Amino acid sequence: MADPASFEEAQAELEQIVTRLEQGQASLDEALALWERGEELYAFCRGKLDAAQGKVEELARRVEQARP
Amino acid sequence: MGKVEALPYDDRTVYSVAAFNRGVAQWLTRLPTVWVEGEVTELRRHERWASVFFTLKDPADGSCLGVTMPRGQFDGLRLDLADGERVHVYGRPQLFEQRGEFRLRALTIERFGVGAHLAALERLKTKLAAEGLFASERKRALPLLPRRIGLVTGNDAAAKRDVLTTIQTRFPPANVLVAETYVQGPRAALEIVAALQTLSSYEDVDVVVLARGGGSFEDLLPFSDERVVRAVATCRVPVVSAVGHEQDMPLCDLAADVRASTPTAAGKLVVPELSVVIGSLDRARGALARTVRLALARDAQTLEHARDRLRAAPRLALERETRRLEHAHDRLRRAPALAVERKRAALDSAAGRLRLLSPLKTLERGYAIVRTDSALVRSAADVAPGVRVAVALAEGGFDATVEGVHG
Repeated sequence: MADPASFEEAQAELEQIVTRLEQGQASLDEALALWERGEELYAFCRGKLDAAQGKVEELARRVEQARP
Repeated sequence: MGKVEALPYDDRTVYSVAAFNRGVAQWLTRLPTVWVEGEVTELRRHERWASVFFTLKDPADGSCLGVTMPRGQFDGLRLDLADGERVHVYGRPQLFEQRGEFRLRALTIERFGVGAHLAALERLKTKLAAEGLFASERKRALPLLPRRIGLVTGNDAAAKRDVLTTIQTRFPPANVLVAETYVQGPRAALEIVAALQTLSSYEDVDVVVLARGGGSFEDLLPFSDERVVRAVATCRVPVVSAVGHEQDMPLCDLAADVRASTPTAAGKLVVPELSVVIGSLDRARGALARTVRLALARDAQTLEHARDRLRAAPRLALERETRRLEHAHDRLRRAPALAVERKRAALDSAAGRLRLLSPLKTLERGYAIVRTDSALVRSAADVAPGVRVAVALAEGGFDATVEGVHG
């Protein structure tokens, strides 16, 4: 299955899957496939959130040297 | 002013430096006296000097112009000017012949005051608004979870600390790229523009925060600079502006996609609360598992139901056949009775019709039937005197002999 491009896409897809399942129209095979995909998306999102402490970086000073 | 005389050489006209300078200086005097606007820098005033010097700088591109004014005259204005202040200088161009330096000789200087700034700001605001730079359709939604956050802020700013603390507290995995710039003074505008451009050139920077704490009206002016306002409006990614206090409304606030009242508020806008995101993810996962279980249960039920129907099928068929048979038997049993009934009804009907046709009814009204041995008597011609006839009445009858015949 394709890797989601971003956290937002993954989360949106997860919600879609839940909605689809909640409507109860998926066949059993489909429901199991959706479940599997949903778990993947959940793991992807959690991975992003559980990532180590984010970084704060400083751009090199003297941005005004970019002046023409 | 002396005469400009060329030195005599064979075939060329050559001037001494002094003569050249004098000539240019003289030519310059033909230019009119004008007002020039700029920012005061490098102001030099000494008691020993006869003149005050400063450089007038164009805040737009840094162009410089030396200005000189007699000290007495300068002091008389009581301007108490400081570097970075914007002024209007009324004067005429002049070449300082001794050094070949071009200057503006000031006749008077006016501080470009808050009133003038406000008017200029108002004009700029009207112009940019007319261009649609502040239109609500231009506002972009902030990303839910930016991969990286750009932060433009001053180097020692409490604003910077507030934004970073808020972001890291709410959402520890957040990545921030900080661009420190001057946030006030003549260099600020260009630096802020450069910082915005640099930050947004990083592919993974999804949002930029422009943060500066409170300050005087003049301090905040760079954030209303046309170049800054345009850079904010055209930034590749959404910009959150948190400049000054609630009541300040620098033009960059109007051009930004979202305006935050404080740097802390800006921090809250660009990242979600980690626990909230995790909560919603976990809820989604819970729903996922629950719905799949439900789907399984539903299918199992359907299956069971099908099995039950399958098992019941032979018995149902048997019952159906039995019922059909009983029904047929029923009909069969009732069939003879029905037939008799039908025949009786037909008989009654026939009897009725027969009674209607019977002459008895006619006889009851007083008629009689006369017949001979061989036939009914319908005409006098059927009999002759002496013939015996039988007469039938409604009740009984009698025999008679014809005594006479009437034609």
